Amino acid sequence: MASPVLVAAAGEVGKGFFHERTSESLPCQAKPDEVFCFDWARDHIDRFGTPALQHIELVVFSVLLGFVVAFALALLAHRQGWLRPPLLALTGVLYTIPSIAFFFLLLPITGLGRDTAIIVLAAYTLQIIYRNTMLGLANVPDSVKDAARGMGLTERQLLWRVELPLATPEIIAGLRIATVSTVAIATLAVFIGAGGLGTQIYGSGNLTFPTSVIIAGGIGILMAFVFDGLLLLAQRATTPWRRVRPA
Amino acid sequence: MPSDEVTERGSSSGASAVRYAGATKRYPGSAKAAVDELTLEVPAGEICVLVGPSGCGKTTAMRMVNRMVEPSAGDILIGERSVRERSPAQLRREIGYVIQQIGLFPHRTIEQNIGAVPQLLGWKKERTSARAAELLELVGLDPDLAGRYPAQLSGGQQQRVGVARALAADPLVMLMDEPFGAIDPINRERLQNEFLRLQAEIGKTVLFVTHDIDEAIKMGDRIAIMREGGKVAQYATPAELLMDPADEFVEDFVGADRALKRLALMRVADIDLWEAPLAHVGQATGEVRAKLSGAEVPYPLLVDSERRPLGWLSERDLEGAQVPARPDSPLGPLLDRDDVMRDALADLLQGEAQYAAVVDHEGRIDGVLSVEIISEFLGSPAAKTEEHSATERPHG
Repeated sequence: MASPVLVAAAGEVGKGFFHERTSESLPCQAKPDEVFCFDWARDHIDRFGTPALQHIELVVFSVLLGFVVAFALALLAHRQGWLRPPLLALTGVLYTIPSIAFFFLLLPITGLGRDTAIIVLAAYTLQIIYRNTMLGLANVPDSVKDAARGMGLTERQLLWRVELPLATPEIIAGLRIATVSTVAIATLAVFIGAGGLGTQIYGSGNLTFPTSVIIAGGIGILMAFVFDGLLLLAQRATTPWRRVRPA
Repeated sequence: MPSDEVTERGSSSGASAVRYAGATKRYPGSAKAAVDELTLEVPAGEICVLVGPSGCGKTTAMRMVNRMVEPSAGDILIGERSVRERSPAQLRREIGYVIQQIGLFPHRTIEQNIGAVPQLLGWKKERTSARAAELLELVGLDPDLAGRYPAQLSGGQQQRVGVARALAADPLVMLMDEPFGAIDPINRERLQNEFLRLQAEIGKTVLFVTHDIDEAIKMGDRIAIMREGGKVAQYATPAELLMDPADEFVEDFVGADRALKRLALMRVADIDLWEAPLAHVGQATGEVRAKLSGAEVPYPLLVDSERRPLGWLSERDLEGAQVPARPDSPLGPLLDRDDVMRDALADLLQGEAQYAAVVDHEGRIDGVLSVEIISEFLGSPAAKTEEHSATERPHG
């Protein structure tokens, strides 16, 4: 890696970073032992609105992108067995790259802002979505596939009418994990100038003023729960056969 | 085998003959063929059972018909058409397929499962639903089950749905791979009987794979016994197979008790019965005694005016001048001409009786079956297998 690139990248990031900081002085003269300042929270809750919406946008787009790519890779690997180990390795390697380093790596190509953040966050979801999709497909009983082929379903019909519906619980389970972890990692998007809840956590002075961090963190947790709940509902809606009482 | 079989393709019964013509399957890297130049013909509307030890290629032979296994050489004809004429998917939609693990779609309702092939064929929804309801009834299930998921059904019910699903688009041929193998013995017997009853109605050409010779004998119109290396050791009707095994392998496979198994294939009417000396109430005992001399059955059988048996007369009954109205000995087991011989023998043994009256559908006396007749039948050259097996039998 050429160091000038990194230096330049650091500068760029720095610009974005300092761009976000607010010049106002800390509004709540918190006592050193005061963890949460309710007065400040009441007066400034609206400043979290835009970052929260940005955060939702980051999570939704990156999980969607990650899902499309991972799903396509999984279908490819499902058809071409020899692709499974290399694809698993590839998604695994992507998963191990530290997020901030990943932002820097993409900076010269995609620049600052939302797109870079979404690409990086999507890359992190690949591994879990890919693995879970493969797991779901592998869990489809052989007898069901044999019967389906024996009745005259083509391979494509088998995939879309039998294998994928039966793999849905695992696929959605993967999406749930990917979404919740993306909600957390997306707080780092602030370093690439993509906004989000990270602005209220890593912004100037915030780390020494816990109230803002706590509110932003709380919104993040709430957001993770809501996403997870929505996906759980989607899973229940798409897999009614899983809830029947056995004979 | 007749070369020009009449096939019923296109007729309302919708069954086609299946003809293997030198069908061979070789797997790469294996010196021996899995199925070796198989040539046999299953006439339209018959059940042909492929039976043999594991690894004999019976399932491979069956799966070549719907090209779940592609033949390496030779051909298979359904009616007059080679299975190679159509794409595998199209071919399979005309062939019912039932497997041991059933393989119902867990995410589809029973109705949707039964409607799987009709859906592929583009049937209208109403027609598919009506067909599903009809088939549920045909296989003895409550049509109310249509909306359930497979997990809500018992194993036996699931396999009935499996059969219904295979029949949905009125296939020309049915392939059944150990269909009742995973079902408990009581339900298996019930399903076998139900399928035979169903088959009498629908008259499909069925290829049925099993490793159980008893099931083969029960289900098959014809049985192909296969041996390792994918060769047919003998292809014959169950009776021929039991009477005249082609070689030692078949003899061993059919089992030492094949004479007894033959009893399962026969009905009482198939065997020569003894004639009973008949006696009527009020008849002079002298007349009856006269009939007894030289008769095969040493006791007179009391019958009513319609020749319906009432009971056996003992020596004491004949002491008077006239035959009494109440016989000394009860009738004992009463057999129907249509009873299966094995059951008849069981009735005799259970009733600890030497003789049993056999009646026709009106209940009139037809003859007498004795343990001796059965024992003679079992000992006859046609039925006799190995001495050691015969001595184990509780006859004589």
